[in-house]
Amino acid sequence: MNSGTQNAVAGFPALKEEGGLKAPGLGKPLIFVGSVLVVLVCLFPFWWMALSSIKTLRELYTIPPIWWPESPTLGNYYKVLFESNIPRYFLNSVVISVGSTGLALVLAIFASYGFARFDFKGKPLLQACVLIGQLLPTAAIIVPLFVTLRVLGLVNTYWGLILVYMIITLPLSVWMLTSYFKAIPVELEEAAIIDGASRLGVLFRVTLPLSIPGIVAVIVYAFVTTWNEFIFALCFATDSSVKTLPIGLAEFSTEFNTDWGAVMAASVIMTLPIALLFLSMQRLFVGGLTAGATKG
Amino acid sequence: MYRPSTGLLFVLPALIVLAMLIAYPVAYTGLLSVTDGQGNFVGMSNFAKVLSARATPQAFWNTVYWVVGSIVFQVILGTATAVLLNQTFAGRAIVRSITLIPWVVPGIVAATTWAWMFHTEFGIINYMLTGPGIIDQPIGWLTNRDTVMPVLIAINVWKLFPFVAIMVLAGLQSIPNDLYEAARVDGANFWEEVRYVMLPQVRPVIVAVTLLLVIWGLNSITIIYAITRGGPANRTLITPIQIFRIAFENVQFNQAAALSVMFFAVAIAIVFVYIKALASQPREAR
Repeated sequence: MNSGTQNAVAGFPALKEEGGLKAPGLGKPLIFVGSVLVVLVCLFPFWWMALSSIKTLRELYTIPPIWWPESPTLGNYYKVLFESNIPRYFLNSVVISVGSTGLALVLAIFASYGFARFDFKGKPLLQACVLIGQLLPTAAIIVPLFVTLRVLGLVNTYWGLILVYMIITLPLSVWMLTSYFKAIPVELEEAAIIDGASRLGVLFRVTLPLSIPGIVAVIVYAFVTTWNEFIFALCFATDSSVKTLPIGLAEFSTEFNTDWGAVMAASVIMTLPIALLFLSMQRLFVGGLTAGATKG
Repeated sequence: MYRPSTGLLFVLPALIVLAMLIAYPVAYTGLLSVTDGQGNFVGMSNFAKVLSARATPQAFWNTVYWVVGSIVFQVILGTATAVLLNQTFAGRAIVRSITLIPWVVPGIVAATTWAWMFHTEFGIINYMLTGPGIIDQPIGWLTNRDTVMPVLIAINVWKLFPFVAIMVLAGLQSIPNDLYEAARVDGANFWEEVRYVMLPQVRPVIVAVTLLLVIWGLNSITIIYAITRGGPANRTLITPIQIFRIAFENVQFNQAAALSVMFFAVAIAIVFVYIKALASQPREAR
């Protein structure tokens, strides 16, 4: 049911068949060189990060640098996992990211449904306000946010960061889901309403099941954004019981004598979940993100 | 069949949260900026103090340098990558996925990894450049006053050009085929197709993406803070980091608020002018 709409929104834009006249394209060699260059530029830092994370101290600090470690070691990972705060920060990051993603999703579902299916006074203005939220320079509000959180007693708590992350994730989530809901034929809902379903019943039984790709896109976006977020965490989580991974990594690398092996190991640990999540979901995610751009 | 108030009820929870977290702090910044630590009204003295600090104009110009420098290369490289990925070739899907990776990884990871690669003594980049004799001796990329900002911009470009590429690619793939065919009937070669079909058609996407990049550029503290914290000699101090320093290192909340107000005003002005300019542009004929 309705799978045509879903695929068009969720997947990558369909690849175009070149029909009729011969399409002039880039020459094969140029495409090859370009692709190799792009792949190298994008991947080399990760290759070097992974390689550095299994080098011993002696191999890290040699001139010229060694391409292949002769005695690969897991010592850096051991140090990060058992002799640092990183596991605790990992847990904090998971709690905060999951919490704020869930909250943003619930709020965004209701708000997007309201924007997509109802007409009410001031709707264009409110929609504009939500988008402006996305355009806000966050640095300009860290001070008053800090004061507000302090008054509420939320500095150095999970709830503080979970709430603050709404600023970053909610506006774009609402935007993405609104355009997704709009693409679902309203007739389906009307049929359910005639059958006696309530508004909420329609939302949860008809619209949401049809919107799974859009919802996954929002989840990936919100999770990745909060997992990676740095500056709010730096300001509002100064106690190690709530610090997130990015802060932990920054602490590692800014001490006078940086232990680069451990830093690289911690970087690998921090990158893996996000890379796996993203690569497995990227079709949905990119589709959800670009749907709005090409229609606007 | 839709009652007007129901829609508002659906929207309200999200709006309340956003108002609490955005509208209130913005208003509160204004209040903080004209009071002292005890809450007494002090007029413009916080602004005067901030403006007389030597770091303020320096941070302003650094911010302009950082944002403009980043965006120019992000858009050029991103668009070029999108044109490449719009070609049909084997392995395209894999290249497209790989392209996205820099954008997805945490900014702090990008920062630390590149900092290690740019390390003066043990960094791979100095090694790769000294080996074939491109430079005769290692450069202190992140400690030299003249190289540090370009290097940070390069890292930022690396981080965000994938975003431009994927958005422009989506735009390219939605161009109707008959436009290409019309160009081909006229005997256009590939570069003419890029110039007269692709670029005009994706201009709205590029324009929208540029606005996002401006905002992100103004917000991006992570890479600079993690690598240099604004040094050496304030060469990479941008205004957001200066706000952070005044507030959390000097604990001068009121002065930080004054600087925030000015930063906010400039940012809003840029967004406003940009949207205005967008609205007045003639629409492309399709």
